[in-house]
Amino acid sequence: MSILAVTEVLVAQNIAFAIIAVGVVVAGVRLVTTENVVHAALWLVVVLAGIAGLYILLAAEFTAIVQVLVYIGAIVVLFLFGIMLTRARLGEGETVNKKMRAPALVIAVAMFALMAYSLWGYFGSTELEVMGRSTAELGQTTAQVADTLFLTYLIPFEVVSVLLLAALTGAIVLARRD
Amino acid sequence: MSLSILAQTPLLTEQIPTPVVSWPALLPLIVMALGGLLLLTFASLFGRRVGTPFFTWWTVMTGLIAFGTAVPLWAQVQGWDRRVLWWNPEQTPAGAFSTVGGAFGIDGFSVLLTMLIALAVAVCALVMAGTSERDGERHVEGPALLILSATGAMVMVGANDLIVLFLGLEVLSLAVYVLAAMNLRRVQSQEAGLKYFVLGAFSSAFFLYGIALVYGGTGSTSLVNITGFLADNLLLGSSSVLVLLGIALMVAGLAFKVAAVPFHSWSPDVYDGAPTSSVAFMASVVKIAAFAGMVRVLVVGFDTFAADWRPILQVLAVLSLVGGALVALVQTNVKRLLAYSSISHAGFILLGVEAASDTGTRAVLVYLVAYTFLVIGSFAVVSIVGRSGDGMHSLDSYRGLGRVSPALAGTFTILLLAQAGVPFTSGFYAKFYAVIAAVDAQSAWLAVVAMLSAVIAAYLYLRLVVTMWFVAPGDQTPAPGLPIPATTGVALVVCVAVTLFIGITPGPLTSVVDEAPPVVVEPPVEQVADAPGLDGLPPGLLDALGGGGAGGQDPLTVDPGGAGTPAGGAP
Repeated sequence: MSILAVTEVLVAQNIAFAIIAVGVVVAGVRLVTTENVVHAALWLVVVLAGIAGLYILLAAEFTAIVQVLVYIGAIVVLFLFGIMLTRARLGEGETVNKKMRAPALVIAVAMFALMAYSLWGYFGSTELEVMGRSTAELGQTTAQVADTLFLTYLIPFEVVSVLLLAALTGAIVLARRD
Repeated sequence: MSLSILAQTPLLTEQIPTPVVSWPALLPLIVMALGGLLLLTFASLFGRRVGTPFFTWWTVMTGLIAFGTAVPLWAQVQGWDRRVLWWNPEQTPAGAFSTVGGAFGIDGFSVLLTMLIALAVAVCALVMAGTSERDGERHVEGPALLILSATGAMVMVGANDLIVLFLGLEVLSLAVYVLAAMNLRRVQSQEAGLKYFVLGAFSSAFFLYGIALVYGGTGSTSLVNITGFLADNLLLGSSSVLVLLGIALMVAGLAFKVAAVPFHSWSPDVYDGAPTSSVAFMASVVKIAAFAGMVRVLVVGFDTFAADWRPILQVLAVLSLVGGALVALVQTNVKRLLAYSSISHAGFILLGVEAASDTGTRAVLVYLVAYTFLVIGSFAVVSIVGRSGDGMHSLDSYRGLGRVSPALAGTFTILLLAQAGVPFTSGFYAKFYAVIAAVDAQSAWLAVVAMLSAVIAAYLYLRLVVTMWFVAPGDQTPAPGLPIPATTGVALVVCVAVTLFIGITPGPLTSVVDEAPPVVVEPPVEQVADAPGLDGLPPGLLDALGGGGAGGQDPLTVDPGGAGTPAGGAP
């Protein structure tokens, strides 16, 4: 059985997956090889956006949106602010410190080995029955998340907003100098 | 594919199920949260014109209104046969109940502690007003954070779900971290805030990890489901290890919040560094909420595991009782001394939790009510003697206080004697019931340890009393006519009145406490039918996680084929 030809939907999905995966890998390699910190942050955006695309292919649209909002919208912007506020000249003659390359490589390879081992050991060649099912059979994940959030976890949801208010007030108190 | 997605989009005419929310049950919480929000709003609009008296007045009123809204709930839980405010016995069924899909429970325990927290907020606001008036601070954030923190505490005492409990704990703690660091002029205050924050974040992580393990072992975070699951299934092997580990981690997290030895190391430093008026709140409301969480999780949720967690609490109790009292003896700083004495008090309350019985829970409630007013009153005195800048806390500052300021010294003496457990004060009955609970639970040796540590602690309280009355004033003693701010004075009168009232006539308190056992009540059945899946997750996903645990299946065994079970559970 060819990888590409389980059903017609999967052909399109697999092609899209291949394109996005190649893009993510290329961006990932550029992310760690580029000399410019700002460029690295922007390559990170490409990697994260590609992963969001993969989530959409897996019909996990809510996770995809959260990925864009949190990682691209908040964390990368925070990175850029950090770079902007700590470096005097943005992207001029600043080179990335490469001293930590060897340990970073070891950690990366170890992480990859661990994930590959556990995924392969767990799933092996079993095909999940989820493949090829329509959204009608699987249910809509976003709708399920919404139902859970506003039924089972309504109180926690509301309490989180009080938590944010307390955090915001606290941050203002501590940051204010008067 | 896009067409098929569109075709499955629910039509707007479809009825969206909403959980049944009993608004009166949530009213104390809503009052507090709204009170905090409106206070911040008013202050940012008219802050310059209204000033501290208005903030104080607002905070006290918020606390009192929240107290008032809890009264009909008490009537409902107790099933009074006459109308109380908006509660009508003919319309609403009486008894304990849970609401919002079982996330929030209303029983005697939660209503009583909600009332206690509401009163504690009002009294703490008065103490805080006294110090901020004296030090010329006009910030609204202190009162606002008091209210928000107390909202978290109220969420905790009613939480019927571990996630709700955790979020309540976080709201409570986050605001208190900031309260500890509020005094921007003293570097010790900043240090205290940072210490408390870092260690507190650690303990929250422990607690959360415990919840995750319990979820892994029982398949739910809701205490209703957990107790049901534990009643139906005998946990063996790996899943019982999961639950035991989870309980241990949750105990560690809560023991940090109540400052039980060996999780206490932060408390002397934080009590010493933080503004004294914040410490009054920290020592009272945080302990109320954390002990409420402990009782709710251990005594109610995991009573089937009592044989496993009782030894842990016994160790914590003994270490706190003896360690707190012994280390307090050598302190020369009154705030540190009171910090260690509150560790010793935590040991007494742990006796009540450890008993794992109704008697024990009653002892916890009596102790919490008595201790709240004792500790707020004591720190209110300390805040006055600390004088402007909040820095005079050494024992020398109390030398001969009885001569220069007899009213203040007299008040402090009553509160200290009550902390020592002298008869005719609330502290006596608090300690009495804690010891009774320990004896009832067949841990008489714990009761003996408790009484011995009470004797040791009595020495240190008496030392403070002797310093105030029988030692000549030194150069650090406040000058005669040390002003007692009016608001702090009111708070002190309230604290002393409650202490003496409970001490002389304990009947009203014990009869109220007798009717306040914590229970876990399932939400009404039709409400459950609306909720998707067992715990909100689609059944297929639960199977895939192995967390369903239904039918005694070991949650750890994950069947890869199970991931393919059609997830038809969506409503």
